[in-house]
Amino acid sequence: MDRTNLVEELRRIVGPRGVVDDPHALMTYDADGCVMDTGIPQVVVLPTSTAQVSGVVRLAARYGLPVVPRGAGTGLTGGATAMFGGIVISTARMDKVLEVDTRNGRVLCQPGVINFDLSQQLKPYGYQFAPDPSSQKACTVGGNIANNSGGPHCLKYGITASHVYGVELVLGDGTVLWSGDGSPAGPGYDLTGVIVGSEGTIGLVTAVWLKITRLPEAVRVVLALFPDIAGASTAVSQVIASGLLPSALEMMDRLVIKAVNDMYKLGLPDSAGAALLIEVDGVEDGLDDLLNDVTAMCWRNGAIDVRPARTLAEQNQVWAARKNAFGAMGRLSPTYYLVDTVVPRTRLPYTMEQVGRISREYDLPIANVFHAGDGNLHPIILFDRRAKGQNQRALEAATSVMHVSIEQGGVISGEHGIGVEKQEYMTLLFSTDDLAAMAGLHQSFDPQDVFNPGKIFPKGRGCGELAALRKAGVAWATLK
Amino acid sequence: MNPLSSQIASIVGTSYLIDDLADYPAYAVQGRIPILVVAPGSVEELAHVVAAAHAAGMAVIPRGGGTMQAWGRPPAGDFMIVQTTRLSRVRIYEPDDLTISVEAGMTMQDLDALLAVHGQMLPLDVPLPARSTIGGVLSTAMDGPRRLGYGTSRDLLIGVQVVEATGRSSKAGGMVVKNVSGFDMMKLYTGSLGSLAIIVSANFKLLPRPRAAATIACTFNTPADAFALVAAIHASQLTPVAVEYLQKDEGGRMKDEASMSAVISLIPHPSSFILCVRAEGLPAAVERHIRDVAEMAERAGSSRMSVLRDEDHMAVWAAINDLPQTFSVADDELLLRLGCLPSDLERALADASALASRQGIALAVAARALSGIAYLRVRGGDEGLRHQFHADLLARWPQLAILAGPPALMAEAPIWGASVPNLALMQRIKQEFDPDNRLNPGRYVV
Ligand SMILES: Cc1cc2nc3c(=O)[nH]c(=O)nc-3n(C[C@H](O)[C@H](O)[C@H](O)COP(=O)(O)OP(=O)(O)OC[C@H]3O[C@@H](n4cnc5c(N)ncnc54)[C@H](O)[C@@H]3O)c2cc1C
Repeated sequence: MDRTNLVEELRRIVGPRGVVDDPHALMTYDADGCVMDTGIPQVVVLPTSTAQVSGVVRLAARYGLPVVPRGAGTGLTGGATAMFGGIVISTARMDKVLEVDTRNGRVLCQPGVINFDLSQQLKPYGYQFAPDPSSQKACTVGGNIANNSGGPHCLKYGITASHVYGVELVLGDGTVLWSGDGSPAGPGYDLTGVIVGSEGTIGLVTAVWLKITRLPEAVRVVLALFPDIAGASTAVSQVIASGLLPSALEMMDRLVIKAVNDMYKLGLPDSAGAALLIEVDGVEDGLDDLLNDVTAMCWRNGAIDVRPARTLAEQNQVWAARKNAFGAMGRLSPTYYLVDTVVPRTRLPYTMEQVGRISREYDLPIANVFHAGDGNLHPIILFDRRAKGQNQRALEAATSVMHVSIEQGGVISGEHGIGVEKQEYMTLLFSTDDLAAMAGLHQSFDPQDVFNPGKIFPKGRGCGELAALRKAGVAWATLK
Repeated sequence: MNPLSSQIASIVGTSYLIDDLADYPAYAVQGRIPILVVAPGSVEELAHVVAAAHAAGMAVIPRGGGTMQAWGRPPAGDFMIVQTTRLSRVRIYEPDDLTISVEAGMTMQDLDALLAVHGQMLPLDVPLPARSTIGGVLSTAMDGPRRLGYGTSRDLLIGVQVVEATGRSSKAGGMVVKNVSGFDMMKLYTGSLGSLAIIVSANFKLLPRPRAAATIACTFNTPADAFALVAAIHASQLTPVAVEYLQKDEGGRMKDEASMSAVISLIPHPSSFILCVRAEGLPAAVERHIRDVAEMAERAGSSRMSVLRDEDHMAVWAAINDLPQTFSVADDELLLRLGCLPSDLERALADASALASRQGIALAVAARALSGIAYLRVRGGDEGLRHQFHADLLARWPQLAILAGPPALMAEAPIWGASVPNLALMQRIKQEFDPDNRLNPGRYVV
């Protein structure tokens, strides 16, 4: 491949400032938030328009190079990492909110808009974009769509998939489609629905109509403290079972409390082994009754204190502590490995016990901060990369968590996705037939495997191969 | 018995196979008689049946309660019906998880009865719940008034198992409320009208039944006043779970229109234009909705406002949910579905009303006022006038589907709207999943 020509042609499409080809600069694109998997792209391109993206994709096809879409690079599964080199298309310069249409409850924006900025811009209209990943100050809506991201408030408002009306997508041959605009019941298959969550493997999202949500009239936040995570987990499962519907139920364990306590001046007692952040929202009327019912349930499950965040400032402080908890892990250990699995909510107490056992067994501290209301756990395995054997032990501990979650009727990812990090674990959950159906869907969009190749599907059974086997009607039972 | 029939009989047993259809006109699909009807008793049986049909080159039409077989084009060529109603078991139900896994042939009513025992619900509100099955509801993606508050099947389906065209079975998703392990195949099958695979079981996220609920029914002299209330609700921070706009035929020409009469009979002092607002949740919150909506309604010029509770509340919504049913449609009737941006709905319905009165045909409307979906029942006049009504309205509002009508029209007209965007990509999907075009051939967009 003639790199000089490629770079020259790319510059012609996106302008000189839109191309990164300096080897040192390229190094900064070698990974996303998952530092275990790395790969350096030949070149990074920062287009500003759909036409430019389409031009770059056509060029990539001509050069036979893979295209890796990249938002803010906060993903935790290597999704935005160029594992096989190629062209990284960064949406960093496609960061405009184009139209706020409150009459239809929607907003048109480019994919590089930062999640938090979007909600800030919607605030004056009395609206928000409901999905709120903890990384919201950095991550892009394009990344949210690709990963079908969640966040604390998805407990009540649903995951990203329920907040996307339609996307503009550039396909592998450079053609562009729109999958919807917010008017319901368009004919045919739900393309929007399958594009969301496809982890940048079937096309690049260049614009999007998002659903926006009216800000609630009233919000209440309390922090319930428990001696241990078991009691807090039982309280969570009971709140869910009783049919009370909080807008968020977030858990932090002793290690996390220790890490955020000083940073955010929360003044939590050392005796607290778990803190449950509870939020309810809606119309003012009845909200206190709801909160009382929820806190009563906490008391019954051994809460040692229930602290209301009375002012907006107090509420923001508690939320900041929760949302920045991962960042605070640096105070506890030089490196950490964040695992993302989900279990049915009644299995939460048992699963958390098992996480404790895994921590002891592999002799690595595990901190827990997670979306308890959804049964979505995030054990954070603390280790030191440089210490002998710890890397391997951390990986094994993570695998154990996945096994336990599946055993409990759960799954291997609740919101971070599969990427490269979990592709080999897909077979724990899915049969060859299951994977082949997914491969069929993938092939209908991206038959040439242009976008983000070598992800999601297990390495030994690449997407193209799976789809081909399926077409050939191979005797499936023999493959399993 | 021909060889395929006997092969299938050996899979399901002769008592679950009908191949002499003279006695069973109910199984006709838009006037076309199937070669045979088979009712497998398990997913495995169903998979074997589909595999046998595939090997024999026979097309398959999946059928649940048959309440929405009017949708789509008449089937092309010979076909057999695979009836799912014997697949009606609960697979997993741990009430405290607020999730359930059920087979696709279970009716919505049976599911609701089961969930009610545990104070839970799946608020999809489809027509004719005593007959319509989970599989049918998912493959049509039929919505209900409470989509405003709880979303549609798209938002509540968390896992699925299907039998593909060759008889191969596959699954996706799981039994948890949050899951990004692999592609979201649930979205692909939902609304695909059985053209990609046969849904055999489904997992749902459930909701607690509300502690309190009430309906605020407001009547108006003009649609404009009703839509002024819709706009006021939209601008407020209230959280009603349904806001349904109803319009009965002004000329009183739709005399035997049973469902609309059922709704109207439950509303004190009805007029031609009604807005029903459904509030659910904590008792205090419901009362707040009643107060605020009543005030807004008065400001919008409502002629009369009434609050329905308990049985009346439940009955009025059961009747509203049935309005878009396609099970019993008269010979001189069309059922249309119009989709548009919510802010355009008032204009679209004004166009429909003007056209109907100009052509002297009867029109009744049930619309999810804040979602931009309207179901239009068109009756009377002669056939030419009804078809002209459809053509004229389609010219203005391209997302106009015919959900039920005479077979000749269903075969010829653009029943899915003026155009199908991204058709080439949809054809590639169909090609991947059903290359031999065996599942519901010709009936959906591809
Ligand atoms: C501290 C921290 C906290 C986090 N908290 C949460 C949380 O609470 N909930 C949660 O769900 N996740 C969380 N994450 C994970 C991550 O932030 C989300 O997955 C986020 O949505 C990724 O957005 P991004 O812009 O950084 O995407 P990137 O990391 O750049 O990319 C993610 C994936 O999206 C693809 N992609 C990006 N843009 C496009 C596009 N325009 N078109 C097509 N594909 C595209 C990429 O190829 C890649 O596969 C957290 C991460 C960190 C580091």
